[in-house]
Amino acid sequence: MLKSKYTLAITGLLLITGVYLIFFTRKPVNYSTDVKPIINQKCISCHGGVKKKGGFSLLFRDEALAATASGKPAIIPGDAANSDMIKRLYHDDPEERMPYREEPLSKEEKDILTRWIDEGARFETHWSYLPVSKPALPKSGLLSLFSSKYNNDIDRFIDEKLEEIDLKRADEADKRTLLRRVSLDLIGMPAPDSIAKQFLKDESPAAYSKLVDNLLALPAYGERWTALWMDLARYADTKGYERDYIRSIWRYRDWLIKAFNQDMPYNQFITEQIAGDLLPGATDEQLIATAFHRNTMTNDEGGTDNEEFRIAAVIDRVNTTWETLMGTSFACVQCHSHPYDPFKHEDYYRFMAYFNNSRDEDTYDEYPLLREFRNKSALQFDSLTNWLSTKLTTNEHKQFYNQLIRTGHACVNSIQADSLVNAALEDTKFLRLRKSAVARFKQMDFNGYKELIIRFRSPVDKGRLTIHADSLQTVPIATAQLSKTKGGWQLISIPVSANFSGVHDLFFSYSSPLLKDVNDNGIVIDWFTAIPAFPDKENATGKYYYALFTGLLNDPEAERTPVMLDNPSYMKRKTYVFERGNWLLKTNEVEPGLPEIFTQETAKKTRNRLELTRWMTDKNNPLTARTMVNRLWEQLFGQGLVETLEDLGSQGATPSHKDLLDFLSYNFMDEDNWSIKKTLKRIVTSETYKQSSVVSKDAMKKDPLNKFYARAPRVRLSAEQIRDQALVICGTLSNKMYGPSVMPYQPEGIWKSPYDERKWVQSQGEDQYRRSIYTYWKRTSPYPSMVNFDGTAREVCLTRRIRTNTPLQALTILNDSTYWDLSVKLAKGIMEDKNADIRQKISKAYEMATGQPITSQKVIVLDDLYTQSLKKLGNDQERIKKMMSDSLYKKEDRQLAAMSMVTNAILNLDEVITKN
Amino acid sequence: MGLMALGSLMDSCNLFGDDPANQVNSKNPLQPKAPHFQGKAKSVIFLHMAGAPSQLEMFDYKPELQKMDGLDCPDSFIQGKKFAFIRGVPKLLGPQANFKQYGESGLWLSDNLPHFSQVIDDVSILKAVNTDQFNHAPAQLLMHCGTARLGRPSMGSWVTYGLGSENSNLPGFVVLTSGGRNPDSGKSVWGSGFLPSVYQGVQCRSEGDPVLFLKDPNGFDRDMRKSSIEAINKINELAYNEYQDPEILSRIAQYEMAFKMQIAVPDVMNIADEPAYIHEMYGTEPGKESFANNALLARKLVEKGVRFVQLFDWGWDSHGTDPGTALDQGFITKCRQTDKTITALLLDLKQRGLLDETLVVWGGEFGRTPMQENRDGKQNYFKGRDHHADAFSMWMAGGGIKGGFSYGETDPIGYNAIDGKVSVYDIQATILKQLGFDHEQLTYQFQGRDFRLTDVFGKVIDPIIA
Repeated sequence: MLKSKYTLAITGLLLITGVYLIFFTRKPVNYSTDVKPIINQKCISCHGGVKKKGGFSLLFRDEALAATASGKPAIIPGDAANSDMIKRLYHDDPEERMPYREEPLSKEEKDILTRWIDEGARFETHWSYLPVSKPALPKSGLLSLFSSKYNNDIDRFIDEKLEEIDLKRADEADKRTLLRRVSLDLIGMPAPDSIAKQFLKDESPAAYSKLVDNLLALPAYGERWTALWMDLARYADTKGYERDYIRSIWRYRDWLIKAFNQDMPYNQFITEQIAGDLLPGATDEQLIATAFHRNTMTNDEGGTDNEEFRIAAVIDRVNTTWETLMGTSFACVQCHSHPYDPFKHEDYYRFMAYFNNSRDEDTYDEYPLLREFRNKSALQFDSLTNWLSTKLTTNEHKQFYNQLIRTGHACVNSIQADSLVNAALEDTKFLRLRKSAVARFKQMDFNGYKELIIRFRSPVDKGRLTIHADSLQTVPIATAQLSKTKGGWQLISIPVSANFSGVHDLFFSYSSPLLKDVNDNGIVIDWFTAIPAFPDKENATGKYYYALFTGLLNDPEAERTPVMLDNPSYMKRKTYVFERGNWLLKTNEVEPGLPEIFTQETAKKTRNRLELTRWMTDKNNPLTARTMVNRLWEQLFGQGLVETLEDLGSQGATPSHKDLLDFLSYNFMDEDNWSIKKTLKRIVTSETYKQSSVVSKDAMKKDPLNKFYARAPRVRLSAEQIRDQALVICGTLSNKMYGPSVMPYQPEGIWKSPYDERKWVQSQGEDQYRRSIYTYWKRTSPYPSMVNFDGTAREVCLTRRIRTNTPLQALTILNDSTYWDLSVKLAKGIMEDKNADIRQKISKAYEMATGQPITSQKVIVLDDLYTQSLKKLGNDQERIKKMMSDSLYKKEDRQLAAMSMVTNAILNLDEVITKN
Repeated sequence: MGLMALGSLMDSCNLFGDDPANQVNSKNPLQPKAPHFQGKAKSVIFLHMAGAPSQLEMFDYKPELQKMDGLDCPDSFIQGKKFAFIRGVPKLLGPQANFKQYGESGLWLSDNLPHFSQVIDDVSILKAVNTDQFNHAPAQLLMHCGTARLGRPSMGSWVTYGLGSENSNLPGFVVLTSGGRNPDSGKSVWGSGFLPSVYQGVQCRSEGDPVLFLKDPNGFDRDMRKSSIEAINKINELAYNEYQDPEILSRIAQYEMAFKMQIAVPDVMNIADEPAYIHEMYGTEPGKESFANNALLARKLVEKGVRFVQLFDWGWDSHGTDPGTALDQGFITKCRQTDKTITALLLDLKQRGLLDETLVVWGGEFGRTPMQENRDGKQNYFKGRDHHADAFSMWMAGGGIKGGFSYGETDPIGYNAIDGKVSVYDIQATILKQLGFDHEQLTYQFQGRDFRLTDVFGKVIDPIIA
């Protein structure tokens, strides 16, 4: 009875719909814009990737049309009336009606779903998974009549949308505002005087374009964009986790600065960072680039499982690659199929397989490390490699030695030992052998190798190490006497018996007659490696070079940077699907591969990281260019064209200007050949960018969030920009580039890490006043004033900083000694002008800080502050002395103290910490 | 322009995007908000003994273990198990303390906690808490952020996001540390993760500035700071007239609040004015960094309406590798440093009528093994225990929790939970419940999905709720 009642109702409804369609011929429903939002909001939490209630899932078309738990499909394309999915929306029984125990769908929503099924229940790929095509320029309405007024096509797209809400772009901002805005955007701080003056003087129409070129050519440009990339790369100067010891990886930061400054094409930029090591004849610089993915954390906490944290690092590389470079929140797929986007659980692990074969394995020293030899070592390195290249006969051996000396690759880390007898992995970092100890290393390849090199330390003499293949019962393949070591790690080379080859398990057996108790400590091993015969070892020349070789291999002076390198084939790791993301629950083995949704030619043969970058930078890859262009837009306008930079997928924000995003992405790849500078110039020379940020009442009402860009945005500066700008205003910024991170002033007692005894030692001289990207970044205790302005610990990648506005920010600029010191310096600078009166001095300070002349109202306020301060200070010498002793100036100068109150106020002004 | 008039103008802007799922009031993200239902507790004091104290020397009385002292640990306990430091076959280690029953409830307590017996009838002891992490940093993260990995908001951040703060001159979530070190997991353990940073814990310090950058530069007085903030705000008002950007109004309000915080925070952080009997009771010494000072501060902070006070006391990692980590030496010192203070805190809250609305939680990130640690396969020289995730003790008091109650039981040697097993997520769900939240409903949308403190787990521990 019931059944027929609602069938009747639906038939009636469909009839009406049909009549409606005949008379009004509506456009067919659009899956992405009409259907998918309803499904995502109302259905998918029960009928999606994770939960398939009643055996019904709406994620993929084949799933949606498949038989459900009831035995028949819930969707019959073309026949909504007989589709259970629709019937259940209308059901009278509240236990049967969908959404289950939620508000019923609205009439309109039901109608859309009904029509969608009647029209064939077509699924559509979400826009961001379709390749970028060049969109036609808008020609709608009135615009076409005035199309000649456009110098920059960006403005056409903006105007097209503005027309919808009947708003017009604001007038162009004044020259000084523009100068400050574009300088902060492109170089992260005010323009140098000469460039600023030239622009303000130049009345020609090309003045602005010249200014942009000048700014893009400054070294400061690279530093500013590096600051952004350091968040994405989760750059830090420490390893993270509990111990959070120091890591030397600043050469990667320097690589970024150089890459941005030389405008390295973006496709090359990400290729080198993801797979620089796999490029033929990879240079040192290309290896340094791969430190991008060595910024993952390393866990030195005692008792932690190295394999667990190796996997954690690999997983972080997968998530970071997707989130930062391809705007996709892939992390969900680690535990289950994506609830909203077309990625299956297994896809995660197939992708992980690209990264799962790198040599690093959470060792204490973070091997493999690229060594940069210095001074004498650099000369020795050149001399040795030249000599070896004449002596070694095969390219394979040349390559082997070159790689071994430069990176220590591919040594076997002692943490791989197992089957331990009287031995232990001490603090889970190194293998310790005791009296009569045994340890096993599995599957070592000896083809072509003649010698073992072991890095070890020994507290006792007369140690005897024997190495057996396959079992302890065999004749040793190598033996060595190990004496007590002094001053850290040493290398020993041990010849391997002639004719020994093949792949074997190795058993290390060790003892020393000087060890009395079974628990007495013998040697500690860091790593070992097998090498091909070293040339001419029997003669004096060969011996000389061999000494150079081992010296360089163990050179404590070399600057060492963690880099990516893949395992040699015999060490290749297998990758498994982890059940519910748990690394201990391994299920099917998988090979490297991409999610099925990607069908580009390059996607089909993507077997390693290098091929992966070919696909990522393929012009048909739908995500790479869009993600980057969206990010550049966000940096300039304070919000992306898709607000969720981290997620362009179906759960991300809807694009405000999708065609503009595609236009920019297309040009980024095709017209501008992946040039970031050209894309930036394209955007900052648009009229949209150059508008005034003053907001009209009308615009505020119609578009409070400025999603339509009828005005330029006002955006608070980033932590780095606020500090760098203050350094420039006060004339103290150091132009020194590159090198190890520095420690500017930080209050006492910030670093209190367990175990790590390192202290914050304030840098001296100009190192106190370097740009903020050079400030030492400790993960468990980041620089406090940066954190107050929304910087994070950089434990994982940060795709966008959420801007906040808090009292702690006010306290930072008011009271942090850094800013008080700068306030005094600025005051000192302007007080030197003996010819100016107080108001002129104040005006000058204000102009230096904002780039604008001061208004008469504002100068009165600040003059009042100056006069009041003078009055309050009176002749209290003690107090004035105190105020000045915080800074470098010891002068008991009453006027200077009062003026410092004024300059401190200026540094705090909204106009100063905001981009107008 | 009067500041009072600014409110309505500011309602029109939203700093945190227009996602309705994320209910953050842009004008005042810390504005008091109603929870899902009327909660019993208004604030939480979480006493975290970083390093993980031994339940077997405090709350979980195991006479059987004493009898087995020195015997090899049965294989069934170690087969396929992973430990942080134990290797091979360790020996069982009997309780290194004597136990007695106390109070009307007759709950067992060790002689390491002579003072705590006075308040035993006010607490619910959970004896079968279980975690899945046995290293400090990940276990601390799991306890406070609901995941062993970094990047998620901490419990205090969730609570201030959900409830706002009752005192606009003080942060809603305050962190105090003692023991000379930060917790192993660093500041992430009070971080705001993907929530706006306004919800992160503010570390108040017993030495130096109580809040970083709170103190004016040397030589300033209040009057001068007042005139400078007035000048800044006047010019910002002029800028508002020019740009009509509501964010400027928000900034004006934040500068006013900064000024008020400069008075309110040192005031609340100053314990010197407390009466002598209070100092005697807690064992406080003004001016020093100590757990006792922090406990007294915690009481003062909740009295002022701070929502979540998080204490970390470092130094509870009793491995027995040196005297400081020996159960019969360093561990006893740590008990002495905290026992009297914690008792005082509960008594003090009670005498002020605050215990009913303040939930006090005590615990470490995991427990310790019934076996003596044999690091790298060698018996440690001192009496100590390795990390143990399968069963450990925590307690809760006040805020609608039963008094004089014990929940959960471990096997005769205290190795496995055999009854009333609760997870870290259950603890979190219970804390949120007492504050008026359904832990499954307190969510924030990030990276395309709703996140919550308890991930996809958590069940409120009903038996301990009064």
